Amino acid sequence: MTLTPTEVSLSEDQRDCYQELTNVAMGQAADRLARLLDVYVVLPIPKVNLIESSDLHMAIQDAETDSAMSAVCQGFIGSGIAGEALLLFNDTSFSDLAALMNYGGELDRYGELELLMDVSSLLIGACIQGIGEQLEIHFNQGHPVVLGQHCKVDDILKSGNHQWTKTLAIEIHYTIEHVNIDCDLLLLFTEDSVAKLNNKINYLLD
Amino acid sequence: MATNVLICDDSSFARKQMARAIPKEWEVEIHFAGDGVEGVQAIREGKGEVVFLDLTMPNLDGYGVLEAIRKEDLPAMVIVVSGDIQPDAQDRVKKLGAMAFIKKPIDAEKAREVLTEYGILTGA
Repeated sequence: MTLTPTEVSLSEDQRDCYQELTNVAMGQAADRLARLLDVYVVLPIPKVNLIESSDLHMAIQDAETDSAMSAVCQGFIGSGIAGEALLLFNDTSFSDLAALMNYGGELDRYGELELLMDVSSLLIGACIQGIGEQLEIHFNQGHPVVLGQHCKVDDILKSGNHQWTKTLAIEIHYTIEHVNIDCDLLLLFTEDSVAKLNNKINYLLD
Repeated sequence: MATNVLICDDSSFARKQMARAIPKEWEVEIHFAGDGVEGVQAIREGKGEVVFLDLTMPNLDGYGVLEAIRKEDLPAMVIVVSGDIQPDAQDRVKKLGAMAFIKKPIDAEKAREVLTEYGILTGA
């Protein structure tokens, strides 16, 4: 069907399908977070876009660009499909998160780091595995890497060393009801992976 | 007479998945709505005797649809089909009058189970 295999593209049906797969996966992730913190996680409609990696910051529409953020990134790979998950966590969220997790220690950078790692491993893991399950791909996850603490979004994104030009970006903006916690989860698939992913998606669309 | 079934979901992929999961022997006329506003309108027109309702939708979400059904006392049996599987979400929709909750992704077996359990699908 695709006449120009080198050109990655995304049809409206494919975008819709990614959105729905993400919807299910992020619901599973939210459920785990909700049970851990005993809260209700507000689920948005995920945004799916094919973007130039240089335009990554534009994908993060909901992140307040001026506020201080902390970020973790974690690579994943399976069935020839690779990408990375990026969790951007608004620094103003830490005090409420600490309270909900009954964190006893002093909330210094190390305390924040611990909370950040806990939340990111839960959200990233559940989301990646949720998408994988639906596509019958087992994703192996790499080690999480802290990209920065108390930085601006632009600086965090600059630190990423992306080898691809085009990327399939899925953005999920999580907020929690009644408390001040918000974070952005970005799933970025490499350019090479998009064609393979689209093939998988096309099976589902048939 | 065929039962009017409404599938209300903003994703066309999800609507298709849902339509496929409807038991073949069940005599139905299937209608579709792409968001909550369209959904409520269709229910008002009698197209939603049984409604498969998504929660996360633009314009009017599934909670809003349930509220409208209750407020206008519309005749609809609602089965929520959602990826939002948090305990709170399930409680809320039940409190708002939803009959059942099925977690996404939907499949034919789950749909049949719920429809049979609530006596909508009989004699199959």
